[in-house]
Amino acid sequence: MKKTEKTIRKDLIVIGSLLLSGLLLMVGVLLFSRDGRTVEVRVDGAVKYRYSLSENRRVTLKGANNGSNVLVIQSGEAWIEEADCPDGLCIKTGRISKEGQSIICLPHKLVAEITSKNAESSGSDIDAYVK
Amino acid sequence: MRAGNKLLTLLLVCMLLCSGCAGNNGKTEPSETSDKQSVSDRAVTTESRELFAMDTVMMIRATGVDAKAAVDEAAAEIERLDALLSVGSEESEVTKLNRNGGGVMSEDVKYLTERSLEIYDSTGGAYDITIYPLMELWGFTGDHPAVPDAKEIERVISESGSDKLKINGNTLTLGAEQGIDFGGIAKGYASSRIMEIFEKKGMISGLVSLGGNVHCFRTKEDGSAWKCGVTDPEHPDDNRYLLGILHCSDQAVITSGGYERYFQDESGKTYHHIMDPKTGYPAKSGLTSVTIVSKDGTLADALSTACFVSGEQKAAAYWRSHRDEFDMILQTDDGRLLVSEGISDAFESDRSYQVISFEG
Repeated sequence: MKKTEKTIRKDLIVIGSLLLSGLLLMVGVLLFSRDGRTVEVRVDGAVKYRYSLSENRRVTLKGANNGSNVLVIQSGEAWIEEADCPDGLCIKTGRISKEGQSIICLPHKLVAEITSKNAESSGSDIDAYVK
Repeated sequence: MRAGNKLLTLLLVCMLLCSGCAGNNGKTEPSETSDKQSVSDRAVTTESRELFAMDTVMMIRATGVDAKAAVDEAAAEIERLDALLSVGSEESEVTKLNRNGGGVMSEDVKYLTERSLEIYDSTGGAYDITIYPLMELWGFTGDHPAVPDAKEIERVISESGSDKLKINGNTLTLGAEQGIDFGGIAKGYASSRIMEIFEKKGMISGLVSLGGNVHCFRTKEDGSAWKCGVTDPEHPDDNRYLLGILHCSDQAVITSGGYERYFQDESGKTYHHIMDPKTGYPAKSGLTSVTIVSKDGTLADALSTACFVSGEQKAAAYWRSHRDEFDMILQTDDGRLLVSEGISDAFESDRSYQVISFEG
């Protein structure tokens, strides 16, 4: 059976609309899915809290030596806003948002690190950072 | 079947696959495989631990039969060395030596003193354990560093110098007004000790990071080299920026950079913590970062400081006469990256760099 111009045009319309809906679906998935990034808070090596980076919040974390650090998560970024440690280095560290970035408060033995659920598949395959 | 239909089916399948990929991206993926990995023996496990010691955060990881025992012993060794060497503790051996102007040294302290003197001599005094009073004067031992009076610096510098230390058997005698600190060598020594523990415990793989001082034991579990990302001094807090990646096994990789600890005065001028023992001021050698790669963690730690203080030319000359002992990666303040010949094949970077070769 020979194709007429009409059927070819129909095919093209179907292909075009399928492509378009596929594209829209992908954009939607990329925009609205949570990317799995979380802030993992460890005190003296043990995981104490895990917060999604896609939920805004302001919490007071209990560190070692009765210390406290106020963690803020907003618009996909996390930072320590207040702390009662002597050096305040955790506040000076500023905002973190990328997988592997961390804020460290030595006096409170506290580490807040950005981790990702799909750490194995995405991100870097680097084993250690030298600094 | 018509050609058009075939094409349609193909496209449909492709799109389903594509959207499937996108949908999975960022979703759950079982990643809890690392903790109890059965390589060939069921008793082979991987143990990781984070701990706080020596004024920093540390990560210890080992793979082997009874990895937990190896990590326990490594952690205990760090605690032991910290208690011995910490200048922040009133009761440490080093604090007692400083308070009493000397005394009998333990085996560890004697070893570290001898190694420090050796490196002091070979680097022309660029690494000096007697600058502790200078660090105190600058306030780098506390939380509020500030620029001291020039006369004070001069006075402290006139008393310092490892050449004034005297060792007689196990007894150390400090010069007048002197104090020592192994802060520039202790973490490298500790990581070397951990490697000995991993060896003794028959581990097949291991990695430690003692506050960014990395030391790897053998290779990764799968036999491939460990990948160490070298921090970009311009972006020390952002792992996306790196000077490069070093592939290594059985090596310590230790960096010194002015970005690690610094403060600003009222005028906004920056002062970092790596002192030039000769001037008494933060070293201005034209380098922003020095990474030393060596099987010997103790040497790597001390040399990272010494080469940072010495600068590009002297560091290159030193490497040429000691190239069987270490390799290095230098970043200059005018934006050049230099890598010594011995690791140029193991170093991966998307930046341009110059290889420091033996011929010079």
